[in-house]
Formats: sequence, structure tokens, C-alpha cells
Amino acid sequence: MVQLTSIILYCLKQLSKERTVYSIYHLLNGKKSSQTIQDAHLFSLKKFFGVLSPLSRDSYDSMIRTLQEQGYIINHGEQRFLLTSSGESFLNKHPILNELNGWEYHQITWPFWERLSLLIQVASNIVHQEKCYIPIQKNKDVHQWVKTVLKEMKVPKYDLGRMIYQELIACFEHNKTLDPSVLVFRLTGFQQIGLTPMQTAQKLSMNHFDYQLQFINIIHYMIRKIAEKPEQFPILSLLQQELRQQHELTQSSRKTWQLLIQGYSLEAIARLRKLRESTIEDHLVEIALYVNHFSIDPYVEQKLQEEILAVSRRIASRQLKLIKDQVNKASYFQIRLVLAKYGGS
Amino acid sequence: MELEDLLKKQFGFTSFKTGQKEVISALLNKQHTLAMLPTGTGKSLCYQLPGYIFEGQIVIVSPLLSLMQDQVEQMKQYGEKRVVALNSFLSQEERGNVLAFLDRYKFIFISPEMLMSPYIIQKLKNISISLFVVDEAHCISQWGYDFRPDYSKLGEVRKTLGNPLTLALTATATSKVREDIIRSLGLNGVKKIESTIDRPNIGFFVEQIADYRQKEDRVLELVAQLQKPGIIYFSSKKAAEQMADLLSEQQICRASVYHGGLDQDTRILIQQQFIYGQLDVICATSAFGMGVNKENIRFVIHFHMPMQLESYLQEIGRAGRDGEPSIAILLYSPGDELLPLQLAEGELPSESQIDWLFNLLENEGESVNGGRKLSETWRELGGFSEVQWRIVEEFVTRLGQQNKNLCSIRNEIKEFAKRRGQAKKESIFKMKSWIDINTCRRKFILHYFDDPFTSEINQCCDRCGLQLEPYHSFKKSPQKETIDISWKEYLQKLLINGVLNK
Repeated sequence: MVQLTSIILYCLKQLSKERTVYSIYHLLNGKKSSQTIQDAHLFSLKKFFGVLSPLSRDSYDSMIRTLQEQGYIINHGEQRFLLTSSGESFLNKHPILNELNGWEYHQITWPFWERLSLLIQVASNIVHQEKCYIPIQKNKDVHQWVKTVLKEMKVPKYDLGRMIYQELIACFEHNKTLDPSVLVFRLTGFQQIGLTPMQTAQKLSMNHFDYQLQFINIIHYMIRKIAEKPEQFPILSLLQQELRQQHELTQSSRKTWQLLIQGYSLEAIARLRKLRESTIEDHLVEIALYVNHFSIDPYVEQKLQEEILAVSRRIASRQLKLIKDQVNKASYFQIRLVLAKYGGS
Repeated sequence: MELEDLLKKQFGFTSFKTGQKEVISALLNKQHTLAMLPTGTGKSLCYQLPGYIFEGQIVIVSPLLSLMQDQVEQMKQYGEKRVVALNSFLSQEERGNVLAFLDRYKFIFISPEMLMSPYIIQKLKNISISLFVVDEAHCISQWGYDFRPDYSKLGEVRKTLGNPLTLALTATATSKVREDIIRSLGLNGVKKIESTIDRPNIGFFVEQIADYRQKEDRVLELVAQLQKPGIIYFSSKKAAEQMADLLSEQQICRASVYHGGLDQDTRILIQQQFIYGQLDVICATSAFGMGVNKENIRFVIHFHMPMQLESYLQEIGRAGRDGEPSIAILLYSPGDELLPLQLAEGELPSESQIDWLFNLLENEGESVNGGRKLSETWRELGGFSEVQWRIVEEFVTRLGQQNKNLCSIRNEIKEFAKRRGQAKKESIFKMKSWIDINTCRRKFILHYFDDPFTSEINQCCDRCGLQLEPYHSFKKSPQKETIDISWKEYLQKLLINGVLNK
């Protein structure tokens, strides 16, 4: 579990006992709650958002127990953990996977894979002139996408396989540290069915969780690479068509945001939506995280903003309580807004 | 056109399998038909082919969602695009689209619960149904091993739809169940086509094993010896998983596990790997097999005894569809019947659970009249399993609509649970007595299904002197793929056709 250990250690280090160990669990699971999303930004852990979803509480608990037994972390009470020196040196020896980009890609990771695997299955069967086969992906949208792509493609059908092959090889060749096996053996084609995640992990003698992380890592690498130079990947770049991430507020926050642009005040929105003001405050913090042109000035005076940031930097903490002790006149809501807006960078 | 010509043109077959032609002829003569055809003999052809003769739509009621999806996909795979499945897999929007243009489809698969919607019934009334098919028709009967409450209302549905020409299909039903099907659907002048359920190329073999551990060893030994591919059935997911691991670890064969607890993608991959010969053995629960069209399965081993002869027959029926000799082996250890007895109990609400729920309803002065919904919290508090809860809900809704009072609903559910529980127990004991008999196992089964078929079969069963050696593999069992190809070679194999390139 080298990869996963590194990631958990890295996260714990970033949190430095300001959050419980379960905030990492929610992060890896990609929980869409204001708290988790804010933590991801505040502690610069965005890239791990949702990279291990779904992860069960039980397996997470047992991982943490193992890390403790191995002496990499120590319990600091109240479900908070700190790295030991051997934890530190483990982390130094085993750098974390460098292509993970959970926050940017978590929503398009799976659709990208579904499209890629179906496209390759279809191309493979075309190349081998086989019309009778069961599509390996069941998602109707993905079927529709492949149909459209095939229709619009200006490539002769028999050449499709060769072109995809060359693009994939070119894509993988740019990064020699990645092992394309984690992805390739899962592909299905003409009279050849791909392996399941479990089978691939076994074949490559990997721990199941590490395997999953490596798989996501290589998908995220592909997404980045293809988006950077779409002209080099005329076919593969179709995989991202209309899949680009639209920065996603939680549904409820989006409603609040819409009312906000229409000029409603925080209190009015709470009344209108029959929600507590504190809930609307949560939404505002979330909006401050994503919506660049959202100004927090109406809620926190400029001078107070600067003060909060200065304190946060000075005491090197993002723990609300500690900041509040120093800037008494600021409310928790105001501190959260400021940290959300400027604290992540 | 002769039926055979149509068969050739639409399906590419040159001859009918047992019973198919009789069923199709009866339907063409506008006779309601009850067809009992053995598993793996192409029951679906019996309604597909008339579809190319009849003007209107063919409506097929099917109880299992996954099976329905498989059937639809297979039809599409063979070029029939006018086919659709109306079930809970469809989104609201998709369903709206399908219902708006229902008459564009020729074959409409539908789940029984969809048929409970008045809106959908109205839509179905607007098209012209030339054939109403009830697949897995034994689910109608309370005496059947797989009774489904929503199936018992199909007779009413049929009436509402104007008594269309009807085909009831089943693979395994005793004569009592068959009578039930006809009565429940309200069919008059039924043509019964009951081909023998016997599969002469499948031999029976029962082995007594002292305990669980030795059973495991015996399976390892058998799998190493027998000709593959094969399926091993388990009643527990965990046991299936363990055995698949053992088989792989000891490199006896390429094995994998299959059960309902795996995610859909994994299930599809495993099933396809097996079909394409990338796996030799599947360790499965009863979730595996429906819709798996693989001709050359050489053995089916039962690690646990099934809950009834009907499902046993279904499961072993997956072997030897190519007509070649195949073997069905059941391993029995003393006390094995306790597991199915336990499972059966878990499928019905217990007396105390029913009392708990109805006391609660009475105390709270709750009325269920007009078909009121029960709260999900009660399900959790009362510890009802999904199956148990479905039964309770069905009774409460149906009887509530008839404005019956709580007391009589309580009694009716209890009465039902008792009766069903008894029927399930009897099935298990029947299965057990088949394991115990000293006489021919095939005759016992045929007699159970009132099947008059008799013929001398060479490789019949252990009681008739069947030995396992003829089923042994001549080859040393195929080791794991020793040639490991690189990922590049794998990609090449998929995407570049060597033959075309040269």
C-alpha cells in the first residue's frame, strides 16, 4: 500500500492536527459537502478529491490502524494524528503520484474511461470486421457518444484502430514513469475481454488500493496531456468533447448563488428557501471557493479581510478558533469566507 | 413462406429445436399456448419468430431485470433494432420517449411492476398487441418455487388488455403449477406443449462428503480432473470467493467469482471472459447463468444443495447445450439442508415480525385503507429483509385498497407466510430425498415433473452405475497463460489486424 500510505501521510501532514483523520476519508471519497470541499482548498489537498471513491469506512479505519502499528503516525487525541519521524522519512522516500488531479477531473474521470473503453472495443471489432458482440459499457449516453463520433469522424473506418493505437502510444511515451499496463489490460476488443480492476491488480502484483490510484493517475495524465495538445491527438481529444468540467457547486449552493445574483440578501434567501441562515452561510463560503468574480466585500470589510489573512499567516494556522482568538471582532462566517477566498493559494 | 425458411432468413438456423415448431404453429393458429421447454432450447425464438409474421406488437413480461436486459441486447446484437425494455432502468425521460412512440417497437419487454401502472396500461391499450408473452410463467403460482406477488395479477392485466393471444413460457413447472398458470391467466382452450425436461447428455452424480473442509479438497480435485469449462454453484458469496481464490492460488485453472455483490462492470467482464474462454471455471451464486449463452460447459458442480429441484434443474441445464456429454455433480455433507432451510425462513416475514408491525399500526391508529404506503423506518425497525418487506407491502397495498381492516390483513399475511413457508420446506425436503434415493435419479426428477419421457440412457446417474472417469480431461489441465504479452502487444492485438496488414 505504498501509494496510499504516502497519500494519507501527506494529507495528515498538511492538516497538521487541525482536522480529524476522517476529513481525509471524506476527501478521498469525494464527499460533496461544504466542509470537505473547503478543507480540500484550505489545506491544498484538492488533487486527492474523490480519487479513491468509493472507499468504505471499515477499510479506511483499518488503514489508519495499520499506519499506527507501523509507527508512521501517532494519535494526538480527538481523532487527530501526527506524522512520526519514520512517517516523514517514508513520505520522503515514496513521493506521491504526481498526475492526480481529483478536484479538476473527478467528474470526468469515469466518463472518460467509459468512452475510451467503448471506443476501443468498437474500433477493435471494426478492424476485425466483427459485428456481433456485447458492448462492455452499458451507459446509453456513452453508446450515443460513440455513434456520433463514428459518424462525424473523417477517418476511414478500417484505419481507426491503427490511429487510436498510434495516438495512445504517443500519449504514453511522453511520460516514462507511468506504466500503461494498469490501463491497457482492462481494455476489451475483438474476442478479447479486458480484466477487472481486481484481476489487473493481481496480474501486476499490486495492492488493490494502490492499483486504483495508479489507474486514476494514468487517466488524469491522459486527460491533461490530451487537453494540452489536442492537435496531436485528433481522435483521443474527442473523448473529452463536452466533458469539460463545469465548476460544480453543490445543487443547493447553486440555487443560493442564483438568488444572490438576482439581488437577494443572505437573510432573504434563508427566508425564501426556508433554510437556516447558517446553511446559507455555508453556501456562500462554497461560492467564495469557486466563483472567482464573487466578491466577499459586502460581508467582510476590506480591512478586516487583511487582518484575518495576516493573523492566519502569522500563526500558520487555518484553524478558525485560533484565528478568532486573535481577531475577536470577526465572526466565524467572516473568517471562513476570507480563508475560502484567499486562503487556498 | 415455410417456417423453416423464415428461421433460416431471420435467425440463420436450419432446423428447430425440440418443441419450438409446435409452439409457433399453435400460436399461428391463434391458440393460447403453455410451453414448458427445457432450459437452453431457445424459448425466446418461440415469440421472436411469430413477431415476423404477426402485424402488431409482441409484449413480453419478464420478471428479472438483468435477464430482460440480456435478452434485449442479444436481439439487438443479432440485428433486431425494434426492441425495447420498459423497466426501472429507464430514466423518466427515456421512459417518456419510449411510451410516446410505443408503436415503433415490435418487441416490448416489460417488468411486472410496470404493468401495475394505469398510465402504462393505457398506453398499451393504444397499440395492437398481437401476442402477450409471460416469461418464467411459474412465478405466477404460489406453488411455484419462485412466486412473485405482482405476477399473480397478470390475469387481470391480460383481461384489461382485451385478452390478447397469450404464450406462457416456463422451463420447469410441476403439473400443479402448470394448472395454476392457466387458471391464473384465465386462458381458455390452451394448447399445452410440454416437451421433456430431460437432458440426456447430462449425467447426474451425487457424492457424500464428511465435512466442509473435505468438500473443498474434493472440489479442487474434481476441477483438476474434469474437462472444462465448468460452473460451481454456492449458496454463499463468501464460499464462492474462497473457492475461486483457492483454484487460482493453486493454479488449478483460471477461475473467477461471480455474485450479485460485485459491481455491474465486473459482472459483465467476468461473464464475457467466461464466454470467450478466458476463464475455465466460474464460482458463482445463483445470480450467474441467466442469459449466459455458452454451448460447451462440461460440468456443473453444486457445492451446496439448491432450495428445490426446479432451480437445480435450471442450473445444471446450463451444461452441455452443444449436446456433448456433460456432468452435474452435487456434493452433500450431513446437515447441508440447514442452510437452505435458514435461507427459506429469511424470505418470509416471521409471525413475530408481522405481529410487531400490526401492533404498531393498531396502536398508532393507522389505517391502511386506500392502499397507503408503509414507512421505510418500520422496515428497518422490524428487521425486515427486502424480500420480506415486498411481501408485506404487497398485501397491505392490495388488501388496503379493498378496505379490509388491519386484523384481517394481519391474518392473511400470516396465513400466506405459513403456507409459503410450508411449501418451501417441502421443496427442500424433496431435494433432500433426491439426494438420498437409492434408485435412478433421472427417473425421480422426471416423475416429479410428471414427465412421461423414458429412454435408456447410457451415462445416466451414479445410481445407474455412472462413473466420473469418462468426464475427465485427457489434456493436462490448461495452466495459466504462461506467455505474458506486454501492454504494447496487447494494444496491437486489439487495434491492429495482423491479417489485413500483411
